Amino acid sequence: MSTKHSIAAARFIENRPQEKWHDETLWMVRAKRDKQSKSLPEWERLRDLASAIKMYSNSHLETLLQEFEKNAIANGAIVHWAKDAEEHNQIVYDILKEHQAKNLVKSKSMLTEECEMNPFLFSKGIDVVESDLGERILQLMDLKPSHIVLPAIHIKRQQVGEMMEEKLGTEKGNFDPTYLTHAARKHLREKFLHADVSMTGANFAVASTGEIVVCTNEGNADMGTSFAKVHIATFGMEKIVPNREALGVFTRLLARSGTGQPITSYTSHYRKPPKGCEFHIIIVDNGRSEILAQPDHVKTLNCIRCGECMNTCPVYRRSGGYSYTYFIPGPIGINLGMLRNPEKYADNVSACSLCLSCSNVCPAKVDLGEQIYKWRQDLDRIGRANKQKKLMSAGMQYLMERPALFNTALKFAPLVNHLPRFMVYNAVNAWGKGRELPTFAKESFNELWKKNKVK
Amino acid sequence: MSSKEDILKRIHANTRQQYDMPDLSLNAIVYEDKLKTFIEVLKAAGGEAYVMQPDDDLNAVIRRFYPEAQRIGSNLNEITCATFNPDELEDPRELNGTDVSVVKGEFGVAENAAVWLPCQYRYKAVYFISNALVILLDRQELVNNMNEAYRRITNADYSFGVFMSGPSKTADIEQALVFGAHGPIRVTVILI
Repeated sequence: MSTKHSIAAARFIENRPQEKWHDETLWMVRAKRDKQSKSLPEWERLRDLASAIKMYSNSHLETLLQEFEKNAIANGAIVHWAKDAEEHNQIVYDILKEHQAKNLVKSKSMLTEECEMNPFLFSKGIDVVESDLGERILQLMDLKPSHIVLPAIHIKRQQVGEMMEEKLGTEKGNFDPTYLTHAARKHLREKFLHADVSMTGANFAVASTGEIVVCTNEGNADMGTSFAKVHIATFGMEKIVPNREALGVFTRLLARSGTGQPITSYTSHYRKPPKGCEFHIIIVDNGRSEILAQPDHVKTLNCIRCGECMNTCPVYRRSGGYSYTYFIPGPIGINLGMLRNPEKYADNVSACSLCLSCSNVCPAKVDLGEQIYKWRQDLDRIGRANKQKKLMSAGMQYLMERPALFNTALKFAPLVNHLPRFMVYNAVNAWGKGRELPTFAKESFNELWKKNKVK
Repeated sequence: MSSKEDILKRIHANTRQQYDMPDLSLNAIVYEDKLKTFIEVLKAAGGEAYVMQPDDDLNAVIRRFYPEAQRIGSNLNEITCATFNPDELEDPRELNGTDVSVVKGEFGVAENAAVWLPCQYRYKAVYFISNALVILLDRQELVNNMNEAYRRITNADYSFGVFMSGPSKTADIEQALVFGAHGPIRVTVILI
């Protein structure tokens, strides 16, 4: 019984050169992160602080969100609260309708992906334009992001070039990244200049000032919000930080962790709407308040969406973002998927070797691998345990509880080494799939001990 | 019940252990030569730095960097090489096609070469739309790191402000670094 993840991963692995490139490229990003982290003697202290600030803010959301709202209103923003995805999308649509807007230019936001906002707005006749280059490429190819920070990491330049020949009329056969990027710059510039409404997510929302902070390298959020008369910023409520000093801890960690840069090109602070413009802010729950009640999993709310756990994960690097069934892949996505709907997204918990590399690099110290382990303990309860492995585990338990039988079995175990492959690697043995089993030792530890062979 | 009340009620009911706000003091990195570090990091971020010499003329320096520029926008009196004042435009869209904008930075951050730019123009587009951006920065106004930076603006009042580190960039096509995804293709910080 293979999981959906392992089946999709097998497809990804079929293209060996692409798999190798994906693996090595993401590892290169991880190595850049290491270089950055080692340039700061206070790195580990920053991680501790980031975690502690998040533990404080996520356990004081009731007061911090109200403080944020009060300050944002004083700044001239209009604040909305959305219980769930549906309400979020409706709020956005109502704002668009009020302004008779036909098009919306937006920067990257995992929250709008979570709310499946784009399809909703398309169905209402709104032209939604993604403005992050990677997101725009995917949108024009009708594909989903495969990484939360490097959304088009699975696409090759030829594919981008061919799509742009067709959709944007670029030169035939010119796949040069600089040429293609500047063609997209021209195309999106027109979209920015003539957008009715602009939308951004938020990397941080500062309670003490009522401002939202958006980090990009491209400047697409800034260009997007420079011409439309209406700016909608939306954020999941765990994005709140208490004040600017605390924000300083996160802006030092975010890009260093995610892309190995000391900071993104733009760390933009949106506080007051320009004269004659409207600034809407949507605070979104959509299941986050439920996570607060789960002490084993509450730390997932520490996540600042840097993407580092994907870059470092040996399974993600070699299986790609599409092998996961939740829209956020990698270690954080496995956990967020299980929190969203454990029955539906249980296929992903197998996509982990429990190496805990993710937990060790996470800038906000989310215990990602440990939580995946906990979810695995729950698989049986939710009826998603692997039936073969369960059967074999039951057999093992029977054996372990009966020492005489266990020792006898062990004595005969080396015979397995001489069995033909088809008898060991077959549909019944789930552990023999995709891996080589170790050979059984001729003598067990027990025997060695008794014969005084253990030094 | 409004959604706000509903959400706050759920947060209240579901919040378990409450944690204290940590003491944020830390021994953050301090550089022996902030100017030198700033220049090195800016270079790595794809930007250019120029330290003004006693005999230099600011406008001549800008012209030297951008000899081909035809549309130069600035609202600073001392920038006589400017061909227009962006604050006099009726529509920010008219900024499209600007070759160089010249702006003033408030302070720079050595650890990441970011310059704090609280918006001092009628349209914030000035900071993003031109092909090149020239930032004037007092070389005495450098802090070591972001912790210091945010302490410095703890109570600052601005409508929009950005920490900008080098030019606009992307690596979304096969991780190949390209400058000028949407914003300036070149950023020159002139240290005065």
